[in-house]
Amino acid sequence: MVTLAELAEPKHTVTWCPGCGDFAILVALKQALVKAGREPHQTVVVSGIGCSGKLPHFIKTYGFEGLHGRSLPAASAIKMANHALTVVDVGGDGDGYGIGMGHFIHTCRRNIDFTYIVHNNQIYGLTTGQTSPTSEKGFKTKSTPEGVLEEPVNPMALAISAGATFVARGFSGNLPHLADLMCQGIQHKGFAIIDVLQPCVTFNKLNTYEYFVKKVYKLDESNHDASDKTAALAKAEEWAEKIPIGVLYKVSKPTYEDGTPQLKEGPLVKQSLKRDVGALLAEFE
Amino acid sequence: MRINDVTLKVGGEAGSGILTVGHMFAKLMQKSGLQVFLTNDYPSLIKGGHNTITVRANPQRIYALTAGIDILIALDKKTVQEHYRELREGGALIYDSGKLKEEDVKLERPDVRKIGVPLSKIATEAGGDIFFNQAAMGAMLALLKMDLAKYDHMIEKAFGRKGADIVAKNKQVVRAGADHVRTNYPDPFGINVNPVQTDARNLLINGNDALCSGAVAAGVHLVAEYPMSPSSSVLHWMAAHAVKYNIVVKHTEDEIAAMNWLCGAGFAGVRCLTATSGGGFSLMNEALGNAGIAEIPCVIINDMRCGPSTGLPTYTEQADLRFALHASQGEFPRIVAMPGDAQEAFWMMVDVFNMADLVQTPAIVLMDKYVAESVTTIPSIKAEQVRIDRGLLQTDAQMAEAANFKRHALTPSGISPRCIPGQKNGIHVCSSYEHDETGYTSEEASMRIAQIDKRERKMRAISPLLYQPAFFGDQSSDLLVVSWGSSKGPVMEALKLLAAKGKSVRYMHIRYACPFAADTISAALKRAKKSLIIEGNSEGQMRNFIREKTGLLIPELYRRYDGRPFEAEEVAAVIEERLLK
Repeated sequence: MVTLAELAEPKHTVTWCPGCGDFAILVALKQALVKAGREPHQTVVVSGIGCSGKLPHFIKTYGFEGLHGRSLPAASAIKMANHALTVVDVGGDGDGYGIGMGHFIHTCRRNIDFTYIVHNNQIYGLTTGQTSPTSEKGFKTKSTPEGVLEEPVNPMALAISAGATFVARGFSGNLPHLADLMCQGIQHKGFAIIDVLQPCVTFNKLNTYEYFVKKVYKLDESNHDASDKTAALAKAEEWAEKIPIGVLYKVSKPTYEDGTPQLKEGPLVKQSLKRDVGALLAEFE
Repeated sequence: MRINDVTLKVGGEAGSGILTVGHMFAKLMQKSGLQVFLTNDYPSLIKGGHNTITVRANPQRIYALTAGIDILIALDKKTVQEHYRELREGGALIYDSGKLKEEDVKLERPDVRKIGVPLSKIATEAGGDIFFNQAAMGAMLALLKMDLAKYDHMIEKAFGRKGADIVAKNKQVVRAGADHVRTNYPDPFGINVNPVQTDARNLLINGNDALCSGAVAAGVHLVAEYPMSPSSSVLHWMAAHAVKYNIVVKHTEDEIAAMNWLCGAGFAGVRCLTATSGGGFSLMNEALGNAGIAEIPCVIINDMRCGPSTGLPTYTEQADLRFALHASQGEFPRIVAMPGDAQEAFWMMVDVFNMADLVQTPAIVLMDKYVAESVTTIPSIKAEQVRIDRGLLQTDAQMAEAANFKRHALTPSGISPRCIPGQKNGIHVCSSYEHDETGYTSEEASMRIAQIDKRERKMRAISPLLYQPAFFGDQSSDLLVVSWGSSKGPVMEALKLLAAKGKSVRYMHIRYACPFAADTISAALKRAKKSLIIEGNSEGQMRNFIREKTGLLIPELYRRYDGRPFEAEEVAAVIEERLLK
């Protein structure tokens, strides 16, 4: 049985800023993998580029650190190539909701069985503080010195309407709750998106720990019915005064793998490469 | 009387059934023991416009079209007026006498035989206008004095699943078309087709299908693609065969996704493929570099069309050579293969999958519209010769014994043993960052140099036997023609035309730009007293690349960049003018 110690990667220096919300995400992910009993060599943590993108180096599982905004296609393919693996994709708000927004919507539609954890700090951190798709209107950054003119993206509402089957929000200021959400996401059969409110202590002086501590409340302590899509969309719209955390929406649907008979004989990567070439070419005779 | 040598052109609006006539005639000629070459010319639209399909049949293997046609089936007035001059002396024009008026078929060529057949009327009487192309087929078969039984059999095969009624109607229309010609145009036509009994089995296949077949033979398990002419038929073929061969075929949201799917799938250990054209390949560039630095094997088909940008979407060009060689930022090894026909497409696809696994790097297959979509007969492929070699991909048993495994170990060959997720003792991060031997991000100067050098060294592991140019023509000649990719066909046909005049040259067809057989190519150029390169772009990209790699400038360059393939007569004339004079 996998332990927290086995998931530690002591040789690699964690390069996040002191106090960064990413630390809690890393610890929560390790706890979730332990709780879900996923072996390190059968787990792949996939990322794009950004502060979140560094996470695969800080956990001892297989990792794929791809391109900015492109982690979802890579994670989808890893799962389709070997669906025996546990695949967890970690991204950021710029990564997943900005440059990678197209992939995000289409991945929600597909319901491939993997978990997507978004480090949502409402700012571009690694590029030193520009507006992100989830930055609030009027927010002043290096790229928007007069304030953001656009409405922020609502990732939860988008995910629900695009067909994601597990849509949740966590807060890096509440580690046990976040770890539990991640474990649920990993155990969910289908595409699970967990948006994590993760304060950037260096560049975002608006959406701070204090900001969120005052606003967040747990859905599992309210009477929210996560199977009710309309109710879930209503919760996704809540932001100004109170921000719900927990599972907004959860539904059971066949996965993309279930609809792919090519996988019935086992993971693609385990299947023989040899084909009856003579029979294949007969159609051209 | 000419026997078994005929060229047909069918023209009409898109969606009018000309493709069916062309392809069924090609299949009939193959079944009659002849060699075939079929090519199409069409604009970028679904319905309407002006489309033609040209089919040549001959007992000898055909590599490209030659000028001139023998039969023109014109389904509209535009086809008559634009193409009747291509008819050879005594050629026949078959047209719908019910639809085209007398002035529509007014020709300045009294030698052309005008065969008016009430195609639409015959079709409507049999049950629908949709059959009128089969009436034209019947008329042509009667002209060529062909037995209809063989064609009946093909109709049964092609339309059998649509029901006995549809089969019967097709046959009825073919007979009516044939009867009309026999009754109203009894004079013998100058060309007959007499089926040849032969034991030699061949394949009627286009370049894209040959690439697909090669990929399946090589063990491809995942295809991710976004449609783009002229590569879309790869997606269609793969999707149609996906369940049968256990291939996951994903029509992704865009080409960026497709290439990133390849990075993920290649890392996870399956052989994977995408196909696109220049525009899509542009979008794939960033992820191509990811595969390069992270040492992920994968195969990308770029079926070239005219660029830049949208360019001429359905026309051919060889202008992406430099692009393929340098696509994506930074420096990393890549394989660039350039098959010249469907036969090469099959075998080079098998080879590049093995090379990609051996070198752990992306492979690009540069084809173009002319080879991708032209349908030709090629000799039967000996399936038992297909070899699959996954290089240093480690087995589960090997990894069970592994200790201190370094995914990007600095080895003398540059090639590191590769493990995949799911295997024990191999945990690492596959990274788009520069990394140390373990895969961990490293910005240290000496490691950077070591990793760049390691990746560069890998290409030397590929056996030179695999990437040599092919030589044709007179090997003792000191006159050398050079080309690459799809220019091969027209040059091969030009050699035949020259041979008929008792003339010959040596011909070098370059099949790989990476790795590049610089020594062989340099030696061939040095041995030649005169040399000429023929390529389908305006800059002479291969000519310049050869100069870069060998220091030798081929003096004569013949280019074409109007979107049309080279013609055999044109190439023969250029060779005569520039080399043989």
